[in-house]
Amino acid sequence: MKKIALLFIFTFLAVGLLMAEPQADINKANKAYQEGFYENAISLYEKVIHEGYTSSELYYNLGNAYFKTDQIPSAILYYERAKKLDPNNEDILYNLRVANNKIIDKIDQLPQLFYQQWWSNVKQLFSPDGWAVNTIVLLFLFFAIVVAFLLSGSVKVRKILLTSGLLIVLVTVLVFIISIQTYDDANNKREAIVYTASLPVKSSPEESGIDLFVIHEGLKVQIIDELSGWKEIRIDNGSKGWVKTEALKAI
Amino acid sequence: MRMKSVNRKFIFPLLLLALSVISGYGQQVEFKATARDEVAVGEQFRLIYTVNAQANGFKAPSIRDFSIIVGPNQSTSSSMQIINNQVTRSIEYSYTFVLQANKEGTFTINPASVNVDGKSRQSNPVTIKVVKGSPQQGNDNQGTAQSAPDISSKNLFVKASVNKNSPYQGEQVIVTYKIYTRIPVSEYSVTKIPALTGFWTENLMKDNTPLKQYRETINGAEYVVAEFKKDALFAQKSGKLKIAPLELDVIAQVERKTKRARTNDPFFDNFFNDSFFGSAYQNVRKTLYSNSIILNVKPLPVAGKSNDFSGAVGDFKITSSIDKKTVKANDALTLRFTVSGRGNLKFIDKPNIIFPTDFDVYDPRIVDNINTTASGMSGKRTFEFLIVPRNHGSYTIKPASFVYFDLDNGKYKTLRSAEFKITVEKGVGGGSYVGAGNDKEDFKYIGTDIRYINTDILNLRPVNMFLFGSIKFWILFMLPFVLFIIFLVTWQKELKKRGNIALMRNKKATGVARKRLKAAEQYLKQGNQQSFCTEISNALWGYISDKFNISRSALSIDSVSEALQKQNVKADLISKFVSTLNNCEFARFAPGDKSQVMDNLYTEALQVITQTEQELK
Repeated sequence: MKKIALLFIFTFLAVGLLMAEPQADINKANKAYQEGFYENAISLYEKVIHEGYTSSELYYNLGNAYFKTDQIPSAILYYERAKKLDPNNEDILYNLRVANNKIIDKIDQLPQLFYQQWWSNVKQLFSPDGWAVNTIVLLFLFFAIVVAFLLSGSVKVRKILLTSGLLIVLVTVLVFIISIQTYDDANNKREAIVYTASLPVKSSPEESGIDLFVIHEGLKVQIIDELSGWKEIRIDNGSKGWVKTEALKAI
Repeated sequence: MRMKSVNRKFIFPLLLLALSVISGYGQQVEFKATARDEVAVGEQFRLIYTVNAQANGFKAPSIRDFSIIVGPNQSTSSSMQIINNQVTRSIEYSYTFVLQANKEGTFTINPASVNVDGKSRQSNPVTIKVVKGSPQQGNDNQGTAQSAPDISSKNLFVKASVNKNSPYQGEQVIVTYKIYTRIPVSEYSVTKIPALTGFWTENLMKDNTPLKQYRETINGAEYVVAEFKKDALFAQKSGKLKIAPLELDVIAQVERKTKRARTNDPFFDNFFNDSFFGSAYQNVRKTLYSNSIILNVKPLPVAGKSNDFSGAVGDFKITSSIDKKTVKANDALTLRFTVSGRGNLKFIDKPNIIFPTDFDVYDPRIVDNINTTASGMSGKRTFEFLIVPRNHGSYTIKPASFVYFDLDNGKYKTLRSAEFKITVEKGVGGGSYVGAGNDKEDFKYIGTDIRYINTDILNLRPVNMFLFGSIKFWILFMLPFVLFIIFLVTWQKELKKRGNIALMRNKKATGVARKRLKAAEQYLKQGNQQSFCTEISNALWGYISDKFNISRSALSIDSVSEALQKQNVKADLISKFVSTLNNCEFARFAPGDKSQVMDNLYTEALQVITQTEQELK
């Protein structure tokens, strides 16, 4: 037990130490942004990301800098990345909406079935890490209830503890499943932003394929399949087709 | 009847008035169209309709094959003849067109119509043959001889000159066109003004300005020079720009080379060559072309060009003023922004003045006071902004900047207008906003922008590291299980250590009682009355002892009912429990066959324990 605790403490300390230097870069970048040197801000934020750090705020700030320099596809990419880490941040959602107003394609969303909508709304309640923490907290709660049940002498209290314990088992299992799903969504990049000004979507993964429709830079697409340099994509209205991998950047 | 083409000069109004009574309309009405039979392309000629009676409602035919230069001009003339005491009065209405032939061919002009005495009359159609070149001279140019002597370009020419050959883009260049002549010129007209592509042109010479004339000597020859056209040009692009030649028609008076064989009579010759006689000079028409000029327009330098530059080139000053510094809300005030100086004033765009956001600002009224004199364009342009502050408070109108290209030192110059502080007082209504619904404003967005960056210390972490699936996660995930097992083990140990058998007994009380009852049942079947009674008794006493943690020695009927009462067991159940205990003791020591009693006792004991168990829950 003690060893594990020590391990935790060391991990946190190490992470804290590593953090000091990139924070200086971020402060510099923020200053550059405040003074209107957006290009400088971009290169500094990018440097921090390149060093292997991530945070929703960092992505958000970088998205803002890209927006200010009129690089809308990059701005949308980073807002989406920020949104993945912090799905309920109002500022991120607002700026993403503003940026999306600047792109050419206005595609109607295919209406989802109510339970799909409900499920994705529930998933959006917390970040992937948030769900992982929830799983652990619920697990602790469950065992606390079991212990309380065992120690309790009163039959009434035991009855309450038994029902709440059963309920918590159900919720824990559900939250655990959501944790797995959100982790999977975040880790496997199934969404991408179009980076080519005008991109014809083909019927098959080859140059000679028939052009089905044309999409433009900044649009978010779902990736559903992949085949030697080509990706099959689906846009929000449900249309599918193949595009070259280099025309996209995964979120 | 003599038809006569007469002019207004010959009208004798007084006579006409006096004699009109006498005159009659005895003569035949004639409506005639006359024109020359043959004209040249480009030549102008007259088409005259005449009617020798009072007429009205002249309807001209449609003239398609000729272009109408003038017309129809109506004129009236009347004449009177007195022959042998007979007075004949004639009146004539004429309608005159001046036409120009455009193309070769033979064309017919349809009859015109006119009303005489309420009757419509038609003229004759006119057929005109249009030939190429310049055929016989018509009446129009009576003085110009057919064999016009050539005018040397040494004696008469047109020259265009500019005051600057390599101006900056947008800089003013003055082009002057001059006629140089050594012979008298009676008439001139500009027939073709070059289309100046790439320039914006401003005419500097008004139509009524008298020509500036002076004498100039070129190569020893003295000329009379007249400046007849002056333009200010503003180049709109850089590079080599051409000013194309201008075309001018001149009628000059040339001394006639008389063809008449000279007589030897000096008087006669002199008489006919005399200028008074009118044959010494003849009018000669000539088309002159000016030289073309190529301007090398320099682009404005890129260095130092600011975003506020809107194309003003020259030498300018700005002034700005505001009519009042204190104003009531919703009252208008006027801000004047004046640019004065010399240069392309008409190109100056409205200044970008930043007003406080809740001021209503209307598009400025532009007042020009620009002089286009021979020296170029100068003056001032004023922008009048009408502004209406909507809310009270103190506001500042920040200085606006005006950037122009200064030609003197070839650099951009920025001028700043004054800053104005305006105090807006509360508007009508004594400063009270109560009930003033109009004073409330709807919330509105005045711009769209993204939200600002997050400047807090960021919660950074390695990229692509999620809590889920990490070692940390699994350790934390397993932790409650581990802790629970540890708890169970320690709990059991603790229970044993404390020897808390009471709790164990309590837990096992029902089980023990049931076991004893089962054993009692066995004895009942075997008919072992003694053992049966002991087991039932033990079951009951033991149950109470285990359940309430009372030692066997301290047990009595009283203590049992007391313990049960403490647990809020119902009174009849208690009495039933007590009676069962009593019955058991009684049966133990009672003689004779007790199989019936034992059966009852067993059922009773079972019921009592089950019911007590239920009550205690």
